[in-house]
Amino acid sequence: MTPEQLALRDAVRSLLDKHSDVRAAIETPHGYDKAVWARLCDIGVLPIPEQHGGSGAGLAETRIALEELGRTLTPSPLLASTLAAHALLATGNEEACDRLLPRIADGTVATLVWPWDNGRTSLDGPARYVLDGDLAEILLATDGTDLYEIDLAGVTREHTPTMDQTRRLAVIHLAGAAATRLGHWSPAIRDVALSLLAAEQVGAAARALELTVEYTKTRVQFGKPIGSFQALKHRMADLHVLVETARSAALAADDEVAAAVAKVYCSEALFKVASEMVQLHGGIAITWEHDAHLYLKRAHGSGQLFGSPAVHLERLRAKI
Amino acid sequence: MDLDLDASTLEFQAEVRSWLAAHVRPLSSMDTAQGFEEHRSWERLLASERLSVVSWPSSYGGREASLLQWLVFEEEYHASGAPGRVSQNGIFLLAPTLFAHGTDEQRARILPSMARGDEVWAQAWSEPEAGSDLASLRSTAVRCDGGWLLRGQKTWSSRAAFADRAFGLFRTGPGERHRGLTYLLFDLRASGVTVRPIDQLDGEPGFAEIFLDDVFVPDRDVVGEVGDGWRVAMSTAGNERGLTLRSPGRFTAAASRLVELYRKNPDPALRDRVVDAWIGAQAYRLHTFGALAQPLSGPAASVTKVFWSELDVALHETALDLLGEVAPGWRDGWLFSLSGPIYAGTNEIQRNVIAERLLGLPR
Repeated sequence: MTPEQLALRDAVRSLLDKHSDVRAAIETPHGYDKAVWARLCDIGVLPIPEQHGGSGAGLAETRIALEELGRTLTPSPLLASTLAAHALLATGNEEACDRLLPRIADGTVATLVWPWDNGRTSLDGPARYVLDGDLAEILLATDGTDLYEIDLAGVTREHTPTMDQTRRLAVIHLAGAAATRLGHWSPAIRDVALSLLAAEQVGAAARALELTVEYTKTRVQFGKPIGSFQALKHRMADLHVLVETARSAALAADDEVAAAVAKVYCSEALFKVASEMVQLHGGIAITWEHDAHLYLKRAHGSGQLFGSPAVHLERLRAKI
Repeated sequence: MDLDLDASTLEFQAEVRSWLAAHVRPLSSMDTAQGFEEHRSWERLLASERLSVVSWPSSYGGREASLLQWLVFEEEYHASGAPGRVSQNGIFLLAPTLFAHGTDEQRARILPSMARGDEVWAQAWSEPEAGSDLASLRSTAVRCDGGWLLRGQKTWSSRAAFADRAFGLFRTGPGERHRGLTYLLFDLRASGVTVRPIDQLDGEPGFAEIFLDDVFVPDRDVVGEVGDGWRVAMSTAGNERGLTLRSPGRFTAAASRLVELYRKNPDPALRDRVVDAWIGAQAYRLHTFGALAQPLSGPAASVTKVFWSELDVALHETALDLLGEVAPGWRDGWLFSLSGPIYAGTNEIQRNVIAERLLGLPR
């Protein structure tokens, strides 16, 4: 990381250490802490050029921020707004960029409706599992060929409760809504989405392992910290290998194949680490009060988001 | 292995199957006050047909069924989608202990009401500082006139939020660790008992903490000899780890549901895992049929515990991957399966038992 990126990471981490409270956030009507989101926008984590009112951060900076948000499971509109902003930029439509990007940079929630398999789709059917779909004030959608701005007046949408309460998803019905064509849709958005998600997964996995290591250093049974037992030590060592290789996969996710690799590898890594977090904590991890189940449910939800590992494995099989 | 069932077992199987088909209906979660009472009523209904504890003597509410018939019952029970057993701590853990170590008076007094669901039992082993290292437990029972006074704290007590009575281990001395422990029964509504339900990761209080402040237990509720509690308790642990608590029917039924799920949501990338889970359930079934000839007990129960608990997790994870984000119908089963490798002695402890006591590896 460059010195600027390190400073960005530290700023986000310090903000989240002080102000992120995932339990409180998921109890709010919108499912995220608006004050924390406003501060993240001030730090400038959205990849929006300065000429469009942004901080000039790129996707690399957004990935750094998402890794931090993953660590603390902080719900935020960053992933949804980033994808919308990126799709908009990719159209090269200066008028739309000038009009919408400054608002997104200021924290207005934006989201993107797109087919995860990058196929053709109709804008008339219901779109499921749309990130922040019921909250977004700026709604962009693609039919797989072009990108459209959707007039919210004709849209019906509802929150979809899923296992992972830390991520907001919704069903959106676009039939009957006015759509304005903004430009061409760039299929590479999918690879961007997968790489951003992978960064978030790596953050969650790294933190889940840290919390587990901490716990096994302090929990005493048979007169010793349980982390001193080789049966547990080796498992955590294996998890460390998994987290570090997942981090490499996420960092390298800058083309179609590498993004698919990152999606599969990081999904499986986070699920493994979160599952082991439960097992290595024992009974306490079966409680609502302990955060292990939040990591586990996030792991499941993230695995399914933008297509399951199985779907991307199939795609890789055809590519390689 | 294809079992040739004898005529009376076939008749029993047919009776159980048709009775379940006529009576099974979905109930609320047993970890809610209302669901708990629904499950208690279900136990009463089973008991009214002598189907709640088929392998027990008839004098206590059973049918003296053979182990084979019990396995058949369990297969029918799970295949029918019948409710979980709210009485399982009692009928699968305490009852075998009473058969082995209790008195005739205790069996006559406790077992019939357990079989009818009139008394639902919770287990009270773990303490905040004594989980895997159960022998480090610190709750005490102090001698008093006519009995014992319990003091201390128990935790992870399954069903304790709504149950009536509990069984557990208490330090009576002399001696440390495995010595000087006594197996006692107590009333969860007795004076001095405070039950604090603990919400589980599905949000429902499936277990609880129990605080004990001079809780009186009469002498008649000591199981086995005073000071011999570790040995008495380990016979229960063998039941919990072994096949009584987790009969193969549970897994073969779940594996069949998984195969059905795959038929509806075919996903070639998951095909091998579905088949692996199905094979695992079959292997477990065959392993338990092997136990008909040579009963599993003691350390051998650790083998089954590792096997069924990890099979259960794999089976549910595969279902979840087939279903995606919402996972209707399998979510709660998955979350519950995660506790399998933890309760009844963690799988790390089971592997130590297998390594040291079955393989003879040095401690």
